[in-house]
Amino acid sequence: MTTLVKLANLETKMFFRDRLSVFWTFLFPVLMIWLFGSMFSGNDMGGRTFAELYVPSWIGVNIVTTSFFTLGTVLTNYRETGVLRRYQSTPLNAWKILMAHTVQGTVIFAISAVLLMVFGMLMYDLTLPEYIGSTLLALLISIICFFPFALFLTSLAKNTQAAAAISSLFLNVMLFLSGATFPLEMMPDVLQYVSKILPLYYTIELLRGTWTQGPIWDYGLEVGVLLGIAVVSTFLASRYFRWSSD
Amino acid sequence: MSSVIQVENLSKSYGDTKAVQGISFTVQKGEIFGIIGPNGAGKTTTIEMLEGVRKPDSGKIDVLGLEPSRQLRKLNERIGVQFQATSIQKKMKVKEALDLFESFYPRNAQKSNVIEQLSLTEKLNENFEKLSGGWKQRVTLALATLHQPEIVFLDEPSMGLDPHARRELWSMIHLLKDQGCTIVVTTHYMEEAEKLCDRVAMIYGGQLKALDTPGQLLNAMAVNNLSFQSEQLEYDTLLSLPGVLRVEQDHDTFKVFSETLQKTAYHIFNYCEDKEIALRDFKFEKGSLDDLFVHYLEKEETA
Repeated sequence: MTTLVKLANLETKMFFRDRLSVFWTFLFPVLMIWLFGSMFSGNDMGGRTFAELYVPSWIGVNIVTTSFFTLGTVLTNYRETGVLRRYQSTPLNAWKILMAHTVQGTVIFAISAVLLMVFGMLMYDLTLPEYIGSTLLALLISIICFFPFALFLTSLAKNTQAAAAISSLFLNVMLFLSGATFPLEMMPDVLQYVSKILPLYYTIELLRGTWTQGPIWDYGLEVGVLLGIAVVSTFLASRYFRWSSD
Repeated sequence: MSSVIQVENLSKSYGDTKAVQGISFTVQKGEIFGIIGPNGAGKTTTIEMLEGVRKPDSGKIDVLGLEPSRQLRKLNERIGVQFQATSIQKKMKVKEALDLFESFYPRNAQKSNVIEQLSLTEKLNENFEKLSGGWKQRVTLALATLHQPEIVFLDEPSMGLDPHARRELWSMIHLLKDQGCTIVVTTHYMEEAEKLCDRVAMIYGGQLKALDTPGQLLNAMAVNNLSFQSEQLEYDTLLSLPGVLRVEQDHDTFKVFSETLQKTAYHIFNYCEDKEIALRDFKFEKGSLDDLFVHYLEKEETA
């Protein structure tokens, strides 16, 4: 137990020592909200305000960036540079490593989510989620869906560059096709269907929904899809965990 | 003395490349056991199979009564490993790394001892990436030894170190041995094997070519020689003297390899006295493992 806490604690500290990742994780999403705010703020968006749509969805996007970049790419780098191989020759178990990174990712994501929410409240009159327990539960479900999902996908990469490429691909596809940047209604039918195979779509639906519309049990389908992905990818991530890239 | 490692008929291939082919040896408790060979000889593959992080294709390995690749977690409590190319996280401070690794071994970690022995105190607050090669090696050596392992595996520990840092490393390894630890070390520096190891396994092309103390290897392999300079002596004359195995000539400098150097020296002096040939700078030269190595490679090529 002390090992797990120590490792999670250390990884979090080391994250903050890297200025670039701090910028991308914490400030970039805020800048994006500000940018979209300057375009859409004040528009009527089907009965909801700009902030009610964009802040929850960018919190969703942040789960994706945290899982692919803070967790997946970093672990691939550890695999490539031999950090994991070094652990392999200690009594440390693989699940403790994955767990420690999950804890670290959750902490970092939580900070970024609070930052976004506070920014939305200060600049765009956003209110706290109406069904706040449901929103927190939705976040938890999304985390246990995306973290292993990203850990598995990036573990297929041979090296850090390939992992970053995989991560960027998934992030960009999901950014544009999950309604986080542009409303889905603007897109042709085909793309609207494509968006429904992307897990981020369901996270965003859940977060937006529980923020203003209704509690989580109104969203059985979304919860089911995310939990399904969570189970499959947790199995794959732990089954195919590798200590080294060769 | 009892053995702590037994290897029997060990083999490992990567695709078509036979990295290790049928190697057998045992390592005694408390010795410094060297695995030497040129780059790509199969040293790292061999040591990583002993450490249990690589699975052999065939053959038997017994390390401290355990089968490494199957009982890895159990083995890891009792061995320490320094890999060739691994690092710890770049932005991790030295003291954080020691602290983390200490928590892996709740029963027997001796952090303060290791810090003192490897004089790490002044570097405790440095990030790992900021350290020089020598200090990085010290830190990874500290991480490999802080739980007082029974066997320490070091893969090319002195690679990239300057001569001073290398000598410091040797004395640290000797200190470990004095504390009763068994050490398995790979290297391609022959000087290192000679200065450091009690016994040496020489690997080339994935096969075990020789296994003995560095001194015995050198004696047995006829790399000791007579060296001298002379303008008038002929290559063929020297080769025809009794007992001479091989002669190397570089302008007026000769190296004569023979079964018994003293006898050959007598013949050379006799001959030169008769013909009134002058000899200069006559020496009994002790061969190095480097010579031995070259000797092997040449044999390999002519075979």
